[in-house]
Amino acid sequence: MSSGVKPGKYFVQGDEAIAEGAIAAGCRFFAGYPITPCSETSETMARRLPEVGGICLQMEDELASIHAVGAASVGGLKAMTISSGPGISLKLEGLGWGIKNEIPYVVADVQRAGPSNGVATRVGQGDFYTVRYGSAGGNSSIIALSPKSTQEAFDLTIECFNLAEIFRCPVFLLTDETVGHTRELLLIPEESELKVVKRVKPTVPPEQFLMYPLDTPGVINYPFPNIGEGYGICVSPYTHNSKGYASTAQDMQEKMAKRLVLKVTENLDKLVRVEKQKMEDAEFAVVAYGGNARPAIAAVEMAREQGMKVGFFRPIIVWPFPDGEVLKVAEKVKNILVCELNIDGQLSREVARAAKGKAEVYLLGSGGVEPHLPAQIFHEIRRLYP
Amino acid sequence: MSTVGETLKVLHPLVAKYLRSERMPHMACPGCGIGQVVHAILLAIDELGLTPQDTVWVQGVGCSSRITYSTWVGDNVDAHHGRMFAVATGLKMARPDMNFICFTGDGDCGAIGGNHFIHACRRNLDVTAILFNNGIYGMTGGQVAPTSPLGAVTTTTPYGNIEDPFDMCQMAVAAGASYVARWRSTDFKPLANSIKKGIQTKGLAFIEVLLQCPTNFGRYVLKTSNPQDVLKWIKDHTVTQKEAEKRSQEELAGKYLIGEFVHRPERSGIVARYQEFLKLHQKE
Amino acid sequence: MAITIVKDFCKGCGFCIAYCPKKVYDLSDEMNKKGYYLPSPVRIEDCTECGLCDFYCPDFAILLEKTKKKSKTKGKEGR
Repeated sequence: MSSGVKPGKYFVQGDEAIAEGAIAAGCRFFAGYPITPCSETSETMARRLPEVGGICLQMEDELASIHAVGAASVGGLKAMTISSGPGISLKLEGLGWGIKNEIPYVVADVQRAGPSNGVATRVGQGDFYTVRYGSAGGNSSIIALSPKSTQEAFDLTIECFNLAEIFRCPVFLLTDETVGHTRELLLIPEESELKVVKRVKPTVPPEQFLMYPLDTPGVINYPFPNIGEGYGICVSPYTHNSKGYASTAQDMQEKMAKRLVLKVTENLDKLVRVEKQKMEDAEFAVVAYGGNARPAIAAVEMAREQGMKVGFFRPIIVWPFPDGEVLKVAEKVKNILVCELNIDGQLSREVARAAKGKAEVYLLGSGGVEPHLPAQIFHEIRRLYP
Repeated sequence: MSTVGETLKVLHPLVAKYLRSERMPHMACPGCGIGQVVHAILLAIDELGLTPQDTVWVQGVGCSSRITYSTWVGDNVDAHHGRMFAVATGLKMARPDMNFICFTGDGDCGAIGGNHFIHACRRNLDVTAILFNNGIYGMTGGQVAPTSPLGAVTTTTPYGNIEDPFDMCQMAVAAGASYVARWRSTDFKPLANSIKKGIQTKGLAFIEVLLQCPTNFGRYVLKTSNPQDVLKWIKDHTVTQKEAEKRSQEELAGKYLIGEFVHRPERSGIVARYQEFLKLHQKE
Repeated sequence: MAITIVKDFCKGCGFCIAYCPKKVYDLSDEMNKKGYYLPSPVRIEDCTECGLCDFYCPDFAILLEKTKKKSKTKGKEGR
C-alpha cells in the first residue's frame, strides 16, 4: 500500500493539513462526527482515505467515533478522530479505554469558544486542562502537541502519530479554530524526508509476552500486538494485570497507575519541544500557543521596535507541560505575560506553577471568538513592562 | 463407572479446547444462565470449525461481558459500557477477515448502548451479537433495565416498574439486521443452531437470549432465590410465534415471542460494501 | 458411559438433580472448596445419555462420556 504522500505546495486550511499529515503518518482509519470547526478534516479524510485504501467512517456520534478508533488500532490500523470542545467532552470516557490499554491513536481537538456549545464557528482555548485532566480517574499522563500554523498542523500530526506508537497511548493534537480555518501555504515534502514510526511487534512468543508491562513502568517503544496475530490479547476498561485479566487488588491498581504515569514522566527528555524568539536578552516574556501564537509574536516585534527587551515563548508539546523550560524563562525575566483565549486562565496557571515565583506571571485572557490582536497584547506589554 | 474428578485434571472438552482454564470456573452466580449460553456459543464455534486464531470475543460491561471476558483462549476485547457495537465496528472494519462473537446485555445494548446497537443493525455490521436478557441490571446489584417487565420491583423501582420493556429484536429487525432471533438459555440445541446460523449469515446476526438471574431478578422481581423458579417464569412467559398466532392479545400481554424473526442474508452490509467501495476508489 | 463431576467448578445450583429426566443425580455429602455440596450420579444405571445434565450445568462441571454416540466435540450431529 502506498504512503499516500503527495509532495508539493498547497494552499489549504489547517483542518485539511491535519488530514494530510495523518495520511502521511500512515493513518488508515478515521472515524468522526461532524462538528464545527473541524468538519473539514472529516471531509478531507472522506475524500482522501479511500484513495489510499483506508477506512473513513462517519459514526453516529462522538462516542462511537472514539471507540471505533481505539478498536481499529487494536485491529492493527493507525487511527484518528477529531472534534471540538463539546465533542471532546463526549469522548473523554472512550479516551480512558485508550489510556488504560495503552492503545496508540490520535485525537485532534480544534478548540472553539466555550463553555458548552459556545460559538461554534469561532476560536477559543478552553480545553487546555480538559485534554490533560478531563478523562476521569486520573492516573495517566497525557501527551498533547499544539500547532500554530497550517504547516505545523501537518508536521505535528505526523509527530502525534509517532509519539502514539513510541509511548503506546492516545496523543492529542490540541489546536483551535484559528489554525483550523486559516488558509495558507503547506509544503508537503518528499516521502523520503518524512520520519514515520512503525508499530512495534513482539519478538517473543505469546506465552512469554506481557501485553501490559506493569513491572517496567518506564519502558517505551513497547510492542503492541493486535487481534489475529496469535497473541490472545485481552483489552478491558477495568484495572487489569499484565496479561489483561481484570483485578481488584490494591497492588495491581498501584502498578497500573504507576505504569500509565511513569511511562511519560520517566521519559520527559523526549517530550520537550518549545519555540523561543528573542529570548536571549529578554527581561519580559510573552507566552501563547496555537492560533494566539502569531499575534503574540507580532506584539513582541512591536515591543522590540520600541526598545523593550521582550521575548516570546511557546510550548509546542503542551503536555507534559515543559516545567523545566518555563522555569528557565522565569529565572531570566522579571515578568511573564500569558495570552490565552479563555478568562479562567489555564495556560497561565501552569506557567505560574512552573515559574515557582521566580517571575511575576500575568494573564491576558479573552473569552475567545477572535484571537488577541497584536495591538492588544502590545498594549498590555507596555503597561506591565518594568 | 462414575467418578468425581479433580479440577483441571479433567476438563469439559469445550473448556479444554476453547477457554482459559486458569479463568475457570467463571464468576457467574450459581444457577445463572450465562454459562448455558456460553456452552451453546462454544458448540456453534466448534461445529463450524472457528478457531481462537480467527475469532475474537467482544464484550461490553455487565454480567454477560464481565463473566466471559478473558475466558476465550483467543483475543478478547472488552469495551466501555454501551460501546461494544462501536468497538466491534472498528475491529471488524480493520479485520474483515476475522469472526467476531459479541456479548451484550440489557443496559449495554438497550440503554446506554442503544444508539450504537441501532446503527450496527442499520449498517448490518457482519458480526454475531448475543444479547443476554435477564430483565434486570445484574452486575450493579438489581436495578431496573429497559427489558424489565412492567410492574417489576427492583432496587430502583421499589414500587414497581411503570415502563414497558423494550423489544430489541423488533428494533433489530426494523433497523436492518440480517438475522434476528430470540431464544431461552434452556433452548440448548435450537440456540446453538441459531448461533451457528447467525455466524454463517452475512450481516448482523442479533440473537437475544432470555436467561435466568436468580440473584437479582429472582430475589427482587419474583421474590425467590431458586433459579428453577426463574426458569419456570421464563418458560411461562415465552411463546413460539406459531403458538402466538392462536392466542389473543390479552393472552400474549407480557409474553416474549421466541424463534427466528428474520433471515435476510441478501441484504448487504457495510463490511462487504466498503470492500467494493475501495475497489472503485482506491488509487494506489 | 461415564459421568464425571468437575468438583471445583460446581456451584450447587441443583439443575442436574432437578432436570435429569431419569433422576440419576442426588445431592451428596461431599463439599467442594467453595462449600457447595456436590451432586452425585447415584442412579447412573438409569442414564440414557440424553445429555441434558451437560447442557443444564452452567459451569461446565459435568462430563458425560457417551458410549452410544460419537464424541461431542468431533461429531457434526448429536450435539
